[in-house]
Amino acid sequence: MFDFSIVTQWFHALLLSFLPEGVAVFLECVIIGLFLLLLYALLACALIFMERKVCAAYQCRLGPNRVGPWGIFQVFADVLKMLTKEIIEIRHADRLLYNLAPYIVVVASVLAFSCLPINKGMEILDFHVGVFFMMAASSIGVVGILLAGWSSNNKYSLIGAMRSGAQMISYELSIGLSIMTVVMLTDTMQFSQIVERQADCWFIFKGHIPALIAFVIYLIAGNAETNRGPFDLPEAESELTAGYHTEYSGMHFGLFYVAEFVNMFIVAGMAATIFLGGWMPFHIPGLDGFNAVMDYIPGFVWFFAKAFFVVFLLMWIKWTFPRLRVDQILHLEWKYLVPIGLVNMLLMAVIVVFNWHF
Amino acid sequence: MISNEIIAIPVAEYHDRMQQLRNEGYDFLESLTGMDWGDSLGVVCHLESTTTGAHIVVKTATEDREHPELPTVSDIWKAAELNEREVYGFFGVRFVGHPDMRRLFLREDWVGYPLRKDYDASPEVNPVRMTNEETLDSTPTYQLNADGKLEEKVNVIFEDGEYVINIGPQHPATHGVLRFRVSLEGEIIKKLDVNCGYIHRGIEKMCESLTYPQTLALTDRLDYLAAMHNRHALCMCIEQAAGIEVSDRVQYIRTIMDELQRIDSHLLFFSCLCMDLGALTAFFYGFRDREKILDIFEGTCGGRLILNYNTIGGVQADIAPDFVRKVKEFIAYLRPQLKEYHDVFTNNVIARQRLTGVGVLSREDAISFGATGATGRAAGWACDVRKRMPYGVYDRVDFREVLFTEGDCFARYMVRMEEIEESMRIIEQLIDNIPEGPYQTKTKPVIRIPEGSYYAAVEASRGEFGVFIESRGDKSPYRMKFRSTGLPLVSAIGTIARGAKIADLIAIGGTLDYVVPDIDR
Amino acid sequence: MNALKHYIVDFFRALGSLLVGMKTTMREFFTRKTTECYPENRATLKLSPRFRGTLTMIHDEENHHRCVACGLCQMACPNGTIHVVSRQETTPEGKTVRVLDRYEYNLGSCMFCQLCVNACPHQAITFDQEFEHAVFDRSKLLLKLNKEGSSLKKQ
Repeated sequence: MFDFSIVTQWFHALLLSFLPEGVAVFLECVIIGLFLLLLYALLACALIFMERKVCAAYQCRLGPNRVGPWGIFQVFADVLKMLTKEIIEIRHADRLLYNLAPYIVVVASVLAFSCLPINKGMEILDFHVGVFFMMAASSIGVVGILLAGWSSNNKYSLIGAMRSGAQMISYELSIGLSIMTVVMLTDTMQFSQIVERQADCWFIFKGHIPALIAFVIYLIAGNAETNRGPFDLPEAESELTAGYHTEYSGMHFGLFYVAEFVNMFIVAGMAATIFLGGWMPFHIPGLDGFNAVMDYIPGFVWFFAKAFFVVFLLMWIKWTFPRLRVDQILHLEWKYLVPIGLVNMLLMAVIVVFNWHF
Repeated sequence: MISNEIIAIPVAEYHDRMQQLRNEGYDFLESLTGMDWGDSLGVVCHLESTTTGAHIVVKTATEDREHPELPTVSDIWKAAELNEREVYGFFGVRFVGHPDMRRLFLREDWVGYPLRKDYDASPEVNPVRMTNEETLDSTPTYQLNADGKLEEKVNVIFEDGEYVINIGPQHPATHGVLRFRVSLEGEIIKKLDVNCGYIHRGIEKMCESLTYPQTLALTDRLDYLAAMHNRHALCMCIEQAAGIEVSDRVQYIRTIMDELQRIDSHLLFFSCLCMDLGALTAFFYGFRDREKILDIFEGTCGGRLILNYNTIGGVQADIAPDFVRKVKEFIAYLRPQLKEYHDVFTNNVIARQRLTGVGVLSREDAISFGATGATGRAAGWACDVRKRMPYGVYDRVDFREVLFTEGDCFARYMVRMEEIEESMRIIEQLIDNIPEGPYQTKTKPVIRIPEGSYYAAVEASRGEFGVFIESRGDKSPYRMKFRSTGLPLVSAIGTIARGAKIADLIAIGGTLDYVVPDIDR
Repeated sequence: MNALKHYIVDFFRALGSLLVGMKTTMREFFTRKTTECYPENRATLKLSPRFRGTLTMIHDEENHHRCVACGLCQMACPNGTIHVVSRQETTPEGKTVRVLDRYEYNLGSCMFCQLCVNACPHQAITFDQEFEHAVFDRSKLLLKLNKEGSSLKKQ
């Protein structure tokens, strides 16, 4: 298994050879930040393209096919268009908050994004309460959405933002419960450790029934957390035209849009890390030859393959179901997911205590 | 067949006589038409009893052209509410006791009453206004006070502190340019006010200056998802009035086309409802299959949406050589597709929860509003014109009138889905038995209708579509009124959406399935 | 107890309906796509011969049409789309006849109702299948249907 920390350590040593340590670390931070943002943007483009093609296939269409072969440059054309569009200032809007909101949303999603361990030794933010940090960071996003809805001076936006608040705060609970279920199994909250402990068997297999239930709950709640269908109430276009971002134009709208897609990736990547072994290859205990072959596939390929598989699952769900109503969403959370999640956690505790897992 | 006899009632007795008729069982106000007879202004009302099926047509008129006033019947039939507002806007007749005397379709600053015969249509009088029309939160109403004098009062629609949002005219879920003003309390709808007229084109007025064959060109543009039905109704009315016989072949073709159009409309209904509820994938399935009907239409009629098929005394062209084969193929194709719709949407727990028990319209209200079609049948009112007053060859085919009793969104949805199956059954019974014969009866070069008034109705995609013609024996009608299928549906929204959530309003609008050009005409 | 059973049965029934929906969409995921690749498929695009595209006047190989400039189509048109301009001519036999000068047709206001074609006693006009009507200037929609130098077909 290739350990990426060899590269980072070599680079660190290289910089230290002609720079004082403080400057070297600063330079490294800048470079990593740039890489992070680049990856963020490219991932968003890839996800948008994937979403269009996948949803088209579900709908018996071809999807974008005009710009470039199979329309692969369509998203770049759209980004270019978005960049050139005017950011419209609305009269009577709360200027500061109105302009601030999209950045809060993006910052929250970049922070959460940087927690994802992409490869062995390729974690940007990795410390012993990583799970807590990730959940805390991702829930800043709702503040941005609430601010956007409030400051737009638009009644639709406000309703959308209020729905979003109710929905995201509720579903955070289920996300927490399902992640906690796995944390009980691993006894660590550090992402790199979580992945390391799946070397023999991914948690979804190791924890069998409770892990599987936690995985499903996590997918549902994660879907709701990212405001994607069937939980896209905050921006339900047939009800609220565009919900909280009705009044945003140009790149400010673009930021919301990009953040939504990367949030979906974060949910998928987190599911991949926690339940499906992250960058850890598929190992079957006892079959050493098979395991060795699997190890030849680099970790980041495993990670992205798993994450995109979950993304595909989320898209499948989104493009099949009608949207729920606001009271039904809360019913689903408080009457079904939370009780099931609690019982599931208890079940996991029993399994861990009696060592009934694989 | 509705009798064309009109009973005249003096204005003074009008309200009491109408109340008496209502008590006698005439509970369905089919149509309320404003009229300008030259010397007098008034209304013609078509009434029907839903228990006996008896029809009666009454009229009343006032000779005062300066300040014409008639008593309202909106307290007797709720259907009169919007219809009287329409008459007020077009003829200037003020209805005493009507709670809301705003113009329904025209701007408040419109000068003159366009459907009056002495209306000045020059553009100087009503130039294109470059200012926005102010939206009023209150409405005038006229009441008789104790000493018999008319008194203007103000009815407040929305109070100052209410959280009022506009749904429409530009909104993804209003299916066109319809505007609801909705007062909200959180997500819950407290009050709803309908604003129509954004695509009012004055088709009824235009018809008055066109010859009878020319009027046909406009009906396809009313409810474009019931183009065949609309034109069928108009042709039927003219044929009955002018005594033109049509061949059996034409009757068969018209019936088949009507049913194809019904399937087309209901498929679009399914698609749009799915889209309104956020199931965008199911939307495409409906549209994909509807495309096949449009191809069949294109092969025979030459059009896909604007069909121009029925003509006075026949149809535009004989059916295409491959028509029968294609229709059979289509029916064989659609059956399994319907199952897919049920899999992906009808049986889905989310869709069920969104539709069941939402937007309940009672049978009494449905009749009072005149909400015919699937909406009425979902409430348990057997209002199918095909059964009530058979036309075409509907008396010769075996089909079931789909009836539900719940009156909620899901019942309305299911009525339409089952009607698709009934329509397929009707077509299957007819498609192999189209008799030989001419597809067009020879008519006079200039068609005139003998003096009198005529009414004919068909079951269009979303209810009873009626045509009322008042003729003075000319080659063009003196007054032509189309009974809109959508207007009663829209008038009912205010009642059934009260207390529902915003998302329910979308579901209610989707299942009522109104088409705006048909409301506005 | 009954309530709990109800809760559990409902839950699994709901889950089942969701899975059936997902199965259906997954099946559609692999079916043939219905997108029409217009304009690439222009060559193979088949329109019904009855499709009403643009009003045209039928001309034969010798540039003869059948229009006698009677103006019936103009009268039949509901919104004044057609304007027939004719002139009086004296034939060698000494009869004065009406001859078509210009057959003006405003595509911009045509509503394709086919009343003009129905009204024509000589089948001089018909609708063709040309549907690509977009132009940059409204004046380009004012068409002259009789070709340059064409004349009435001799009976």
